[in-house]
Amino acid sequence: MTSEAMDCGRAAADGKIAAMKILVIEDDLEAAAYLMKAFREAGIVADHASDGEAGLFMGLENSYDVMVIDRMLPRRDGLSVIGELRRKGVNTPVLILSALGQVDDRVTGLRAGGDDYLPKPYAFSELLARVEVLGRRKGTPEQDMVYRVADLELDRLSHTARRAGKDLLLQPREFRLLEYLMKNAGQVVTRTMLLEHVWDYHFDPQTNVIDVHISRLRGKIEKPGSPALLKTIRGAGYMIKDGD
Amino acid sequence: MARFRLLFLSTAVRLSALFILIFALAAGALVLYVTAMSERLLIAEIRESLNQEVAAVQRAYERGGIGQLARVMDIRARQPGANLYIIAGPAGDMLAGNVASVAPGLFDKEGWTAEPFPYRRYQEENAKHPPRVAIARVVFLDNGMRILVGRDLAEPGALRFLVRRAIFVTVGAMGLGALLLWLFIGRNALKRIDRISDASKKIMAGDLAQRLPVSGSGDEFDRLSLSLNEMLERIGKLSEGLRQVSDNIAHDLKTPLTRLKNRATEALAAEEPDARRQSLEGILTEADQIIRTFDALLMISRVEAGSQAATLSDLDLSAIAADCVELYEPVAEEAGFRLDARIAPGIGIKGNRELIGQTLANLIDNAIKYADGDQADKTIRVNLAPGSGGGVELSVADQGRGIPADRRGDVLKRFVRLDESRSKPGTGLGLAMAEAVMALHGGTIALADTDPTNTDHPGLTVTLRF
Repeated sequence: MTSEAMDCGRAAADGKIAAMKILVIEDDLEAAAYLMKAFREAGIVADHASDGEAGLFMGLENSYDVMVIDRMLPRRDGLSVIGELRRKGVNTPVLILSALGQVDDRVTGLRAGGDDYLPKPYAFSELLARVEVLGRRKGTPEQDMVYRVADLELDRLSHTARRAGKDLLLQPREFRLLEYLMKNAGQVVTRTMLLEHVWDYHFDPQTNVIDVHISRLRGKIEKPGSPALLKTIRGAGYMIKDGD
Repeated sequence: MARFRLLFLSTAVRLSALFILIFALAAGALVLYVTAMSERLLIAEIRESLNQEVAAVQRAYERGGIGQLARVMDIRARQPGANLYIIAGPAGDMLAGNVASVAPGLFDKEGWTAEPFPYRRYQEENAKHPPRVAIARVVFLDNGMRILVGRDLAEPGALRFLVRRAIFVTVGAMGLGALLLWLFIGRNALKRIDRISDASKKIMAGDLAQRLPVSGSGDEFDRLSLSLNEMLERIGKLSEGLRQVSDNIAHDLKTPLTRLKNRATEALAAEEPDARRQSLEGILTEADQIIRTFDALLMISRVEAGSQAATLSDLDLSAIAADCVELYEPVAEEAGFRLDARIAPGIGIKGNRELIGQTLANLIDNAIKYADGDQADKTIRVNLAPGSGGGVELSVADQGRGIPADRRGDVLKRFVRLDESRSKPGTGLGLAMAEAVMALHGGTIALADTDPTNTDHPGLTVTLRF
């Protein structure tokens, strides 16, 4: 896990992520200590609060890029912390951690103002990838109609993609896969994140279904002679990026 | 004694006693009413006949004076069972009659005596005999003499006594009979309750195979025992299932935990950074598998508890099926299968998209994992069509080795995998979850041969009926 975290950290360290500052509200001190250490190794500055009230106070006083909030907290539960933050005009992206990792809970969590939801137990690589995507969200070119990575180009309006000026023949799902990867270019995207955003399912596909989709997409976008853009991040997921 | 107290405490006996009491009160009231009514009737009749007597006596007086009156009264007084006839002087002193003595002051007022009055007959003057009772009419004659004509009330009194005795005897006999019957029934019921409570004590002591006694008479005790026995049967099955599941959990977790430990030992011993890294990655994979197993277990129990029932909504099942086929097509192709989808468009159901999607994904995943072999036809068919019974049928059919008919029930159980060596990755929970999901949607899951004529590769068809 540590080696992975460093892997992701390395992958991220050369981006703007080094400056990311997050708040972790988690009452399990051991889990929190582990998270603090792992985030630090990944180049993220993390503050910790061990109960809902303290977390709310810190969230209102300081400015963070992302907050990671456990659902069940002493003194004030996670959803109420989020509700209060939103009411006070704090729109920092929030990732909810929950031991109740089921569909219903996800829906209530997101409805309460959370931006992403991760059931426990989770792999740190998964949490890190999601925090990074949330943290960058502010700067994400949501309105950009054309995404570009090196000579790979994706036009969201005309639903076309080109590599080195040549049109790529993509299936609708392949297009959405590429679109999500390029929207988060330079960031690790996990298999579950892909299943969530491209297929809108939240379960864990048992076999390597996503891998095969990726390898097909790779076969269509990577050309001999051009540098590989779609990279596999071992133990974490995938990333589209120019250079190494 | 304690038994007798128990008997008295029993509801049947207490209700019976109350019933007997109410019955006796009602019967008593009835007796009183009937006798009072018949007495009134009788007295009215007596008065009527006395009036006629008085009229006859008065006529005799008018015809022949006091002599004729005395003669007529004398004749009438001598008849057997005669009425009371008295001629008294103006001062109320008895002059003649067939009565020895009457209550004093009887002749002071003309007309009916207000109350039945006591009197004594001749030969009954001593105190040994109780005084008799009669009603009478007193008439004042124009010469100041008074006559009295009365009727002894021994007759109506006797009737009253007779009626009352008859009714009381009947009611008493009935009450006693009912009491005996109810005592018997209560005792019988108590005995059977004792047997039932003995059996339950044995069950509580841990003997779940014990059943409550059934007499075979089909009465309410039998009905109660039968339904309790059914409940015990179900509890027995559930606890057996629970035991099996925990055995399987222990077994299914022990294996990956052992591997986990081995990898950790390996990582500790590894000199090369690359080898250590590889061991650590192996540890991660094992841990992920354990987490996956627990997630699936939790999911099943939550689906079974029906906590997601509230989230059922209108779904396009055709779209879900198409999505799943599209999701698994590349994997299937990679494994050498052709995924053949025949999906009727626009089929809608009420359900949970996430759960149905996951279930279908599991079924396709199973087909890809377990249907491999040397068969000629490597097609996996996903069919969605309106069912014959008005519902919807979604099926996944492969051409693999299939599942023998006698093992089909087993594979729906948690952790049951036909692949004993557990060489393929998987939790052994896929079909158990599919069954739970179908139960949540009020549907069923059925396993069958795809092609029963093919002995080598009959294949497996899993049909979900909504």
